[in-house]
Formats: sequence, C-alpha cells, structure tokens
Amino acid sequence: MIDLAQSIVDGVLFGTTYAVIGIGFTLIFGVMHKINMSFAAASIAGAYSGLLVFLLWKTAPPIVVFATSAALAGLIGYAIYLLCFRFIPIASPLATLMSTVGMLLLVDEIIVHLTAGMPLSYPAIYDGYPIELGQLILRVDLLLVFLVCLVAMAVLLYLLYRTRLGIATRAVAQQPVAAQLCGIRLTQVNAITFVMTGTLGGIAGAMIGASVGVLSPLLSLPLTVKGLIVTVIGGLGSIPGAIVAGLLVGAFENVFQMWRGVTERDMYVMLLLFAFLVFRPGGLFRIAGARD
Amino acid sequence: MLALDGIAKHFGGIRAVDDLALTVAKGEILGLIGPNGSGKSTTVNLICGLYPVTAGRITLDGRDITDLPTHRRLSEGIARTFQNIRLFGGLTVWQNLWVAQNAPAHRKERGYLARWLGGSKQAREETGRLLDFAGLAHRKDELAANLAFGEQRRLELARALATRPSLLLLDEPAAGMNAEEIAALDERIRELKRQGYTIVLIEHHMELVMAVSDRVCVLNFGRKIAEGTAAEVQADPAVRQAYLGTA
Amino acid sequence: MDFYYGLAQIIGVHTLLGLSAYMVLLTGQVSLAQAGFAAVGAYVAAMLTVLAGMHLFPALLIAGIAAATIACAVGFPALRVRGLMLVIATLAFGEAVRLFFFNFDYQIAKGEVRVGPLGGEGFRQIRYFPENGWTTFEVMLLIWAIVAMVMAALWWMDRSRTGAVLRAVGEDELAAQSVGINLTAVKVSAMAAGGFIAGLSGGIYAHYTTHIEHANFGVVLATFAIAYPILGGLSSVFGTVIAVVFIQGVLIEGLRFMGDWRNLLFGALIVLAMNLRPHGLLDPRSLAMLRRLVGRA
Repeated sequence: MIDLAQSIVDGVLFGTTYAVIGIGFTLIFGVMHKINMSFAAASIAGAYSGLLVFLLWKTAPPIVVFATSAALAGLIGYAIYLLCFRFIPIASPLATLMSTVGMLLLVDEIIVHLTAGMPLSYPAIYDGYPIELGQLILRVDLLLVFLVCLVAMAVLLYLLYRTRLGIATRAVAQQPVAAQLCGIRLTQVNAITFVMTGTLGGIAGAMIGASVGVLSPLLSLPLTVKGLIVTVIGGLGSIPGAIVAGLLVGAFENVFQMWRGVTERDMYVMLLLFAFLVFRPGGLFRIAGARD
Repeated sequence: MLALDGIAKHFGGIRAVDDLALTVAKGEILGLIGPNGSGKSTTVNLICGLYPVTAGRITLDGRDITDLPTHRRLSEGIARTFQNIRLFGGLTVWQNLWVAQNAPAHRKERGYLARWLGGSKQAREETGRLLDFAGLAHRKDELAANLAFGEQRRLELARALATRPSLLLLDEPAAGMNAEEIAALDERIRELKRQGYTIVLIEHHMELVMAVSDRVCVLNFGRKIAEGTAAEVQADPAVRQAYLGTA
Repeated sequence: MDFYYGLAQIIGVHTLLGLSAYMVLLTGQVSLAQAGFAAVGAYVAAMLTVLAGMHLFPALLIAGIAAATIACAVGFPALRVRGLMLVIATLAFGEAVRLFFFNFDYQIAKGEVRVGPLGGEGFRQIRYFPENGWTTFEVMLLIWAIVAMVMAALWWMDRSRTGAVLRAVGEDELAAQSVGINLTAVKVSAMAAGGFIAGLSGGIYAHYTTHIEHANFGVVLATFAIAYPILGGLSSVFGTVIAVVFIQGVLIEGLRFMGDWRNLLFGALIVLAMNLRPHGLLDPRSLAMLRRLVGRA
C-alpha cells in the first residue's frame, strides 16, 4: 500500500513536467490550430543549450543553467516558428505537420551530432537528503521540479489572462479574423506564442534533465508521445486539461512501472489514451463552443 | 410527405429550435423564413440528420427517420445544399456529380462489381443531363475549386439532384447572388417544381421566397410564428413585429 | 551489383509503406500507425515461415490480412476523432504495437537452436530466402512485382468511382455525408486497405533483412511512411514513388559520403521542401504540366 502511495506521489511530482510539455502543445494548437510536433525535441534542445553556460563560466550554479535553458529555448521556439509556420500557407495543414516532423528529426540530429550521441550530465536541482513523511519519502529534487513547474504555469496563466498580450493571444485563438480586424497583428501574436511556449518547454526540459540527472537525445521522442497523449487526454486546446492530464499520466505510468516494469509501462499509458478516445474523445475538459 | 412533429434542438441552454411542427406536402415549395438566428439552418440540419434532435419525431412518407444517420436519410430521398457552398474542391465538376450517385437505384443499376469500378452508362447520361441543367457542361473537367461563385452554387444544386432525391432542402441558395442570377435561380426552382420535386427553401431574399413558394412558414427564436400563403404571412402582425421590432 | 539490388529492395519496401499511407491520406486521415501495421505484418509473416514452416506467399497474404484486421480495429475508435487528434491517436497506437513486440516472447526449439521473437532481442534467423536458394536479384524482382501489382491496383482505383469517393471524403466529410456517402464504411475500408499494404511491406521486409526488432518499427518509420505521399503529393501514386526514390535513393544512399551530416540534412530538407512546395513535389499543377508535355510528344 505504501509502495502504491509512494509511486503515485513520485509520479504526480514528475508529471508536472508532462503537464508543462502538454501546455506547450495545447497552447500552440489553441492559437494556430496546428500541432508543433517538434516542440518536445526543442524543449530538450533548450535544456541542452543551457549547458553552454559552462563554456563561459565553469562553476555556474544550476539556477543559471536553468535560466539559460529557458531563454535559449524561447529563441529556438522562434526559429521553429519562422522555419515551419511563418511561410507555409494556412490552408496546407499537412505541410506544416510534415515540416515540424522534419524539424523534430533535425533537432534530434543536431543534438546527436554536437554531443557525439553521448548523454551529458545535467546539474541537479538539489542533492541533499529526502524529506520523510511517516513512511512516505519525498524526493526533494522532484518536489522542487514540481514547484518550478507550478510557478512556470502560474506565470503563463497570469500572462494569458491578466495582460494585454495574453488577451490578444486568446483573442487570436478564438476569432483570428475578428482579432485582426481589431488591429492585432497575427504574425506577431503567433511568434510571441512560440517564444512563450518555447521558454516554457525549456523550463520543462531543464527540470527533466535535473531530475533524471542526464540529458540524452533519446529523451525527446518518448517525451513527444507523452506530451501529445497529455494534450489529448486533457482535451486539445485546454490548459487546465493539460495540467490535470499531465499529473494523471505521471502517476499512472509510475504505478504501472512498479507493477509491470519499465518496458511495459508505456503500453498501459497508450491503453489509457485509447480508453479516453473511445469513451471521452473530447478529453477531460471539452472546449466549449466547439459544437460544430 | 415530410412531417416534423414537435422537434426541438437545444445547445446547452440555447433553444435553437423549440417544439416545431411542420409538414411539407408532395410537390409543393415551402418557404422557410425568419430573422437571423431564428433556427432555420438548424432545422435543415435536423432534417438531414447532421444534428440529433433533442426531442420530437421526423417522418418522411410516414416512415420514422428520426434516428437514421445522414447518409441513410439520403437514400430515403432527402438532399440538400449548403448556405456556405461545400463542394469537393479537389475533384472535377463531373466527379462531384459522380460521387453523389448513392441512391439505392444507382446501386442497383451499377451492380455489385461496377459499384466499385466505375459508372454505368445510365449514370453517365444522368450526369450529362444534370450538367446541362446547371449550365456547366462546358466546364465538366474543371476542378470545382476553380469555378466562379455562381457556377459553384449551380454545381452544388446539381450535386444534390444527382442523389435522385424526392425532397430538396435549399439553404439560402440566393446568398451572394446579383439580381440577374436570382432571376435565373427563380426560373430553375420553378423548373424543379414542374419536374415534381418537393422543395424546402430557406432564404433571406424575400422577393424570391414570396414569388416561388406555395406556402411560407416564419420562424422566430426557434418557434413557428406564422404560416400561410405569401400574402397571408406578409399581412401577419406577428411577422412584422419579428422583422421590424416592437414598433 | 548486389548493392544496387539491395537498394532496390529497400526502395520497394518503402514504396509499399508509402502507398499504404497514401491510401489512408486520400480520405483525409493522417495515420502514424502504418509502422505498427508493418510490424504486425513482419512478425506474423516471419512466424508463419520460420515457426510454422509455411510457404512465403500464403504467409505474406495472411500477414496482410492480419494487419488489415488490426487496422480495422484501430479504424473504428479512430473514427470518433479527426484531424490532429487522429494523428496523435494513431501515433500512440503505433507505439503501443511496437511496445507489444518489445515485450513479446514466443520461441520454439528447431533443431539445436531456439527460434522466434524474443522481446527486446528481436526476431533473428528469418532465413526463408537463403534456405530456399533465392538470390538477391530474385528477391528484388519479387518485391518489385508486388510493388507493381499494388501500384496498378491503386492507380486503377484512383481513376474509378471509389477513388473519387475516397477523395470526396478527404475534401469535406460533411458534404460527403450529405450526398449519401457512408463515412464509416469509407474510412474503415481505407484504413483496412492501407493496413493490408503495410502488412505486405512488413512481411517482405522481415524476410529480406532476416532480423527484425521492435526498434525497426518506431516513430521514425511511421514518419517516413506519411512523408512519402505528402512529399510526393496526393495527386497520383507516382508522386509517392518519386518521393521514395528521392529520399531513400538520393538522400540516404546518394549522400552517404557526407557521413553523419546526412541525417542532419534529411530533416532540414523536409522542412525546406514543405516551405517551397506545400502541396508536394508532384502537385496538381506540375502534374497537369507533365500531362501536357506527354500529350504533345
């Protein structure tokens, strides 16, 4: 019983990173009605680029690495916008999908190329003793990952709901044509969305690196699949949905990892997704107004 | 031939159509009018089965079709056009008519194998007639997306006819047309009536509705507020109020 | 010479995979499950020839039918979702199939060795061709005979009413329903046909490489499968073949001298191609132009 509780707690804490990745997918979908398949890979690339700090400052504290990761991931997000979205006609959804898949392969290959395919160690967020709550052990690093992701999500929600920029973003998401008629520049809002989600992805990437301890290009494909699953389970375009689904998937996979082992656990995550597709295809939080 | 019995459609709290009863007799043209948002298009979508009804019954020639999926209602003889034209833009004009040949009679004529492999001679003659009717014979190999607006409207009507319907639902066929085109449309609708089609015409263009309809039914807020001949409806105070406000 | 036969085999198998995705794409469905269907075909065909000692042809046929059945089973729940949701659902399904074979053990003793799929180790010793004395050239001929048959069937279908109906569904589902097309039947049949072709390609692949493992059928292969028809354009089956030759022949083999940089270039070229030709290399315009050229000659 205590094992179950323990894996649920660990899973929920790690699940925040899925939630953040899911938000990234969902936000871009919400604004552009397109999926950016390269998003998770770009997030991992952002985490990698944070390591560049060590070239200049050999003893940089982890926090600087994380901040650099986030900032550079924002830049990568902008680059992806330019390369895969800006110049491809809106009416060619297949072309955008394909180009972001190409970008996914490209980003992965760049990482493999620059690191010679070897995993790199990533600074831990905390390496002291865990907290014990009765029999339950709380890994402090996971707890900090959880907190950082929560803060990142809170900041994002604040930006989206309380600032002019965020309102413009949501206006574009809901009524692109009307928003343009109100003087909102579509390309600018789209670009900002990519920078914003890119930064968010960088934070998630950094937190994944920090809790796993190493970065490897092998992380990006499973993360892409997990992120997309979270997006679907949460309901495409729904931010609260992505958060809840991220935590749910985190807990779910950890429980099955305990029961069935690491090679089988993802199969059960897929089954969870299928259950949702069959019984609740709109996801946890169906977007209102999508009745047609 | 078509009877709606107390049908309703609610979207959340919005009652798009509420307790609507309507009958259409064989061979008549029923004009369905009403201000924007009065539930006309929803009614069409309910009749052809794109939305399930919240309540009520729909019967066609006495058969209950309330729960049939859209493509099955079509084999019962209901065809429609869309307010915002929906053609298969990547197919040619001729192919647009070809894929619409899904009536039970078509299937029988094609036979089992030919159903997958191609069209029968009869079907080809039929598309030829429809192309002539729509005045599109000279453009039959053009992609539908490349047609001019008026041509697209005519092709959509021809495509609806290609399904060999007995009941035609025309959802604002005159939207975006100029006076000359509307006159041609007026003539085309009369021709269809002469050929024996039953038509439900949803339209904002009053002159057209009043000119061709045998009977007019007025909706407001999802309810029927008046029904009768064009003259009767025009004289009805409730209708005036719905269109002009409480003046 | 064997090198070119080998290349022709790869191109043939990938063409089949691309055509399986083409079939599904016609109805407007983007399926990332084609690699999963190929995996089903590969394992089923290999188990039939190696474990049951069956002849290759019936084994391939059964493999195709097995993959088609699985595709049908995916097709039904997948019908409830469309567009990007379908992309994700099929992606997840493909991964689930791969993970299934990652955990799948079924070995029997054959002489002094044990043969059959063994989880992460994969399925080794699929030695049907060498045991029966097929040369590389003959294997290549077989593969291309199958490719030619499938292409002919699809090309013919494209020109028939069925092709027009599939495209109509791909263009506008609502309008297709309104002219009496049964969406469920059309989409599930397209899925099943695509699954059958993918199963064939997997079955052949298993036999000429002699060793398959779950990692062969991952997201990358699924991406390739839809990349071919999208890059080639959906106007004609030949676009898919051109894209396969371009990617497998020119990019992957032709650029071998570039070493590691080749893989980098691959992703970059997809991005570039989609920016320059969003409707594929062989889009309707260039196809019409080609027809005119041929017509004049």
